Amino acid sequence: MKLTGTVSLRDLEGGVWVLEGDDGRTYELAGGDRRLRTKGSRIEVDGVIDSGAASFAMVGPVLRVKRYRALP
Amino acid sequence: MSDLRIQALLFAGALSIAACSRPNLGPIKGGSSDDPSARVPGAIVVDFKDGTTKAEFDAWEKDWGIDLEFNSIEGPEDGVTIAVGIQDVEAVLAKIRAHPAVEAAEPLEIFQATFVPNDPDFGKQWNLQQIRMPQAWESSRGKGAIVAVLDTGIAFEDYQGFRQVPDLKGVRFVKGYNFVADDEHPVDDHGHGTHVAGTIAQATNNREGVAGIAFEAALMPIKVLDRSGMGVSSDIADAIRFAADHGANVINMSLGGGGYSRVIEKAVAYARKTGVTVVCAAGNTGLGQVAYPAAYPGAVAVSAVGPNGRRAPYSSFGRQLDIAAPGGDKRQGPEGGVLQNTIDRQNPARSVYESFQGTSMATAHVSGVAALLYAKGARAPEQVEKALFDGASIVDGKEWSEEYGHGLLNAEKSLQLVGRQNAPVDWWPFGISAALLAGVMLTLRSRQRPGYLNLLLSPAFFIPLVLATVGVFFARWAFGGATGLAGTVVDFVSLPIPDWQRIVFGRGRLASPLFYSALIPLAGSAFAIAIRGARQLVAGLAMGFAGFLLYAAWSRAPGLAFLPFHFLALPWLVVNAVICLFIARALLKKEIGR
Repeated sequence: MKLTGTVSLRDLEGGVWVLEGDDGRTYELAGGDRRLRTKGSRIEVDGVIDSGAASFAMVGPVLRVKRYRALP
Repeated sequence: MSDLRIQALLFAGALSIAACSRPNLGPIKGGSSDDPSARVPGAIVVDFKDGTTKAEFDAWEKDWGIDLEFNSIEGPEDGVTIAVGIQDVEAVLAKIRAHPAVEAAEPLEIFQATFVPNDPDFGKQWNLQQIRMPQAWESSRGKGAIVAVLDTGIAFEDYQGFRQVPDLKGVRFVKGYNFVADDEHPVDDHGHGTHVAGTIAQATNNREGVAGIAFEAALMPIKVLDRSGMGVSSDIADAIRFAADHGANVINMSLGGGGYSRVIEKAVAYARKTGVTVVCAAGNTGLGQVAYPAAYPGAVAVSAVGPNGRRAPYSSFGRQLDIAAPGGDKRQGPEGGVLQNTIDRQNPARSVYESFQGTSMATAHVSGVAALLYAKGARAPEQVEKALFDGASIVDGKEWSEEYGHGLLNAEKSLQLVGRQNAPVDWWPFGISAALLAGVMLTLRSRQRPGYLNLLLSPAFFIPLVLATVGVFFARWAFGGATGLAGTVVDFVSLPIPDWQRIVFGRGRLASPLFYSALIPLAGSAFAIAIRGARQLVAGLAMGFAGFLLYAAWSRAPGLAFLPFHFLALPWLVVNAVICLFIARALLKKEIGR
């Protein structure tokens, strides 16, 4: 699935990287490289929702990133 | 004498013992004057100018509509008086304060003992004040309880590149497991788990860092979340069962998300059935839906509040919510978070003190208090939950709400409640022993029966039997406040003899197979068999053990330490009960036949 949104670091549980999706939902980012985790960057992600994963972040569905690209 | 009068006498005795053995618990501080619960209802204290006479204030009293008396023989010197039974305390105080002869007038407060640890940053831990830990530490610090922390691991040992953090030095750890790497070193490569563990049992009163809630409890480190903070349901389910089978009293799961998992739901039910309280975070979505595993039946779901006691905006809530606890709210700055010792995420060998916010932090508070409740004598999750929920401070006048559950965690109040509900005496072991005695009588020749019955009624037989089956069951509620040596004696005699292992080993829920066996009666009989009179004592003891062990086998079949498989507990208990029965019969027969 493809999702667009803004990358953000939430001050929760010591710090959690999320994608604030344009669909209004918050996704916890999993996988991807260090460059993916740039505060405020707009990206398009190709990934899957990992419904078997639990985490201490508990901010929303875990989004496993396969590919992503920066949006202008 | 009626039960009540016996109780009253014992209670008076207990008070005098407790008074003599006032523990050395650190500085005694007054209750806060902002806190109405520390006030005596309808009572005030008025300090007149020195030298004010009783005749003078008796004359003024009529205007104020109260009856003042000197507080003590010091009264005529220092002018301190008190009055009780006042309807509107504030209005009366306002009138009195206006009088020129009055130096001060205020509500009468109860000054209660509190434990203020010497950890240098304890003053920053608003969260521990909020749940009334300084008061709660007076009655429990978690000794003997075990809390399993299912998280990213704990910085509890020096292993390869990992170091124990300084403020966990001296804390007790029991064997855990690393389900991520499949080894026996559940060290923390993130920092979250160490932070959570710190809230539960940070080394306290050690002049280092900050305090933790149940600092005399033992932690069981279990790593189920990897470096990125994620884990899979199969590991989590296995970890829950591991913790339950290895004697944990409390399982802390500051984790959640993913969908419904039948495997985890069954593991939670299993843990609860074996006597474990499972505490889980409601989630950090800020939405009205409690995350799994908190939402499963049998799990305590925890939401987070900030320093002002209001639900933090990130905290999830919903219809499965059970209780609220401090999770932090850093909108006004980092001091609104929960401060603990953990590791630097970039370098796991480096210790840092960090302020976190999240429902994970709130969950750790509830787990810590649950450990205190187990240490105070609670046995079952139902008992722990009742004390947690009934003791919680009601928010907005609602007995229950989706945001706060039963209210805000209150350690002091919950401990008071569990102290009171503590006394359900289990008469079953005694009953089974009595039934066994009747059974033994049927195996005797009718000629021997009168002698046998005489023996049973003698105190030398009866008292050891009671001690081995129910203990001096009234000791704890009569002498519950005693500490020091007196407290240790009370702890021992209030338990049936086989359960002394709880004090000796303090290993959470696992029973020692040495105490839960025929060993003690067997050793006793070796001495007693040749001694007249002593045979009755040991016969009573053995008979009591037989009843106790059979009941243990039938009712709960607790996990036994050292035994590799849980299912071996049952045959072990039954075989040993039968041995006890034979010992008792042999001793009694010899005593009659002499």
